[in-house]
Amino acid sequence: MTDAAMGNVAVLLSIGRHPVSGRSRRAATDAQALEMALALRPRRLTAIHAGPAADAEALRAYLGMGLERLTLLVLPEGADPVEALITHLRHLAPSLVLTGRQAEDGESSGMLPYLIARGLDAAIVPDVVRIGPADTPDATYGKADLVQALPRGQRRALTVTGRLIATVHPSAPPARASAFGPARRGVIEPVAAQAAADLFLSDCEHRPWRPKPKLMRVKRGGSALDRLKAATESKSGKGQLLINPTAEAGALAIYDNLVEQGILP
Amino acid sequence: MTSPQIRHRVDPRAERAARTILTGQRPRLLRQPVATATVNERRRDPRAIRDAALVQRQPRPRYDWARDAASAGTTAAVGVAVANAPVIPLQVIAEPAYLVLAMLDRPGGEVSEHDRQVIAAARLLADAGGGAVVTVATGSGEALAEAGSDRHVALPDGWADDYVPERRAAAAAALMASLSPRHILFPDSPDGGDLARRVAAAAGERLFAGVQSLGPDRATRQSAGGSLETGHRPTRLMTVAADAFAPLDGVRHEARPLDLATPVVAGEEVLPRLGCARRLAVDPDALSLSETDFILSAGNGVTDWQSFAELGEALGATRAGSRVVCDAGHLPRERQVGASGTVVSARCYLAFGIAGAPQHLQGITGVKHVIAINTDLHAEMIKRADLSIVADAQEIMPALIRLIRERRHD
Ligand SMILES: Cc1cc2nc3c(=O)[nH]c(=O)nc-3n(C[C@H](O)[C@H](O)[C@H](O)COP(=O)(O)OP(=O)(O)OC[C@H]3O[C@@H](n4cnc5c(N)ncnc54)[C@H](O)[C@@H]3O)c2cc1C
Repeated sequence: MTDAAMGNVAVLLSIGRHPVSGRSRRAATDAQALEMALALRPRRLTAIHAGPAADAEALRAYLGMGLERLTLLVLPEGADPVEALITHLRHLAPSLVLTGRQAEDGESSGMLPYLIARGLDAAIVPDVVRIGPADTPDATYGKADLVQALPRGQRRALTVTGRLIATVHPSAPPARASAFGPARRGVIEPVAAQAAADLFLSDCEHRPWRPKPKLMRVKRGGSALDRLKAATESKSGKGQLLINPTAEAGALAIYDNLVEQGILP
Repeated sequence: MTSPQIRHRVDPRAERAARTILTGQRPRLLRQPVATATVNERRRDPRAIRDAALVQRQPRPRYDWARDAASAGTTAAVGVAVANAPVIPLQVIAEPAYLVLAMLDRPGGEVSEHDRQVIAAARLLADAGGGAVVTVATGSGEALAEAGSDRHVALPDGWADDYVPERRAAAAAALMASLSPRHILFPDSPDGGDLARRVAAAAGERLFAGVQSLGPDRATRQSAGGSLETGHRPTRLMTVAADAFAPLDGVRHEARPLDLATPVVAGEEVLPRLGCARRLAVDPDALSLSETDFILSAGNGVTDWQSFAELGEALGATRAGSRVVCDAGHLPRERQVGASGTVVSARCYLAFGIAGAPQHLQGITGVKHVIAINTDLHAEMIKRADLSIVADAQEIMPALIRLIRERRHD
């Protein structure tokens, strides 16, 4: 009953790009999304990539993680994959779609999961680190419990109703290694798809990225002395000072201070 | 002290000319010199210039050569001038030509650094053609006036704490329809970026994500995993990358509440698909030092490691230490704070028995609130701290544990 909710899972996989060498590889968060999908042990797992057929060899790294087959929606170079993916996913009707957060190559705007959620009329949750079927007693069909990563290492639990698109956060469980044999044996199934060219991207101009100087928090205005002080002197605190209090008085001062700062309840 | 003393230079020609009387048949010279002694303007008096540039005499003299001679007063005048800083003139944009919306995060009710940067980016777009910046956030707009906001739309206060991104996206879409702004900027933070993408997907518009530089007719961002720079005209929806724009300072805008014909809370009708959001407790010691918010740190002055561990648990703080402690093996290496360890940005740093060596203080420059316990009144850490306690760490730690347990049982 519980695994019925997670019976049909689709994973969207892109081709990554090594940040230093620029070589094609499996994209880090996409691989984690596949790991998460494999760990869910769904009845049906579909892995989909949309893009030019020429790049297909880089996808074998995903097959090496234990996938038997992978669907390749063949699109012309520079085409927008969103429409093709939505059409294909409508046909599959998965209850859960997992993807990485942002592509490592191409536009990498992070819009794709949102557009697909729109197209499938599904809920979208970003930065997921754990997914499980809801374990509340009134767990109806199609409810899922998620854990979402927040900044500063915090976590948030959520319950989602209905079809779900989730993007995976880098702090999700790490992807298993890719094995060579399964990667050779796996099957990539090409499927012809329709797609229009992305006019916005061809309207943009591209050039190699040149690192910019880091933004310094310089204080403007004031006299030279003020600016020098701001730049060189380390910040000193407001300096409430207790000299040789009793242990209890010292502890109380710390406790009250922490409560005041909102650190302790 | 030596007062600036003007030395009168002797200019024999000028003196002679002043004494000459030309009215008679031939020039005559007066006996008594006329008290003119006009200072020759073309002569430099290096001593006077140096005195005018002196801004501080103790502990060592400092000079400000950039000050213009007119404003250069005496040494004392500088301190006064700084004390009553000139009032920043209020900039009013009464009839904006167009609007630029800045949808802020305002995590925990505070205006974050990233929020200020988004307003600075919005100002770039607004100032190019007489537009106005409209900030949208929970809470009132007063705190945003100095960040550069002309108008403010307050979201309901209750939205600050609960996580319902669909409602915020609906509110943003409602504002987009009613104000028809030329641009809408979001911070490219986890929450702000999520909201921006929801709005863009709903509106069917292109999002220009993670803007790195911005002008009235060109915006750039990083693409292809950071290897390419992509430029385009500024689109309607954009997110602003962190630390790409310097926040404004020295400006004051109105941040006047904007009166809307339709209320923003139109989003309440949306049936949220995400629910039951709640924060989970995380093990503080599993967090990395650069991520955590509250650090309990030990130095060479700590010998009672049992109490230290218990205190960390009682406080729910991430444990860390100075280099000496990590070298001695009391804590693992990745728990070292400082120049050769981790640079932390916690909200609160509680330091027991740390002297505050420069290498250690470098690691805590980003910390908001420091509490130090040390037996040495003159330790650098005591100077850095917001609350300093001169006492033995081995006595304070058990007392603090006892106090926390007592309060918890109440
Ligand atoms: C290249 C280089 C890199 C370095 N990088 C780092 C770094 O990344 N991080 C770092 O921390 N250090 C670093 N150091 C070392 C640094 O210079 C100091 O030696 C070190 O920080 C001192 O640690 P401490 O304050 O714990 O110890 P100490 O200097 O020994 O100070 C102990 C303090 O505890 C107080 N004390 C003693 N007994 C008690 C008691 N019972 N109760 C309360 N207080 C007591 C003392 O008054 C003293 O102030 C670096 C040094 C070098 C040369």
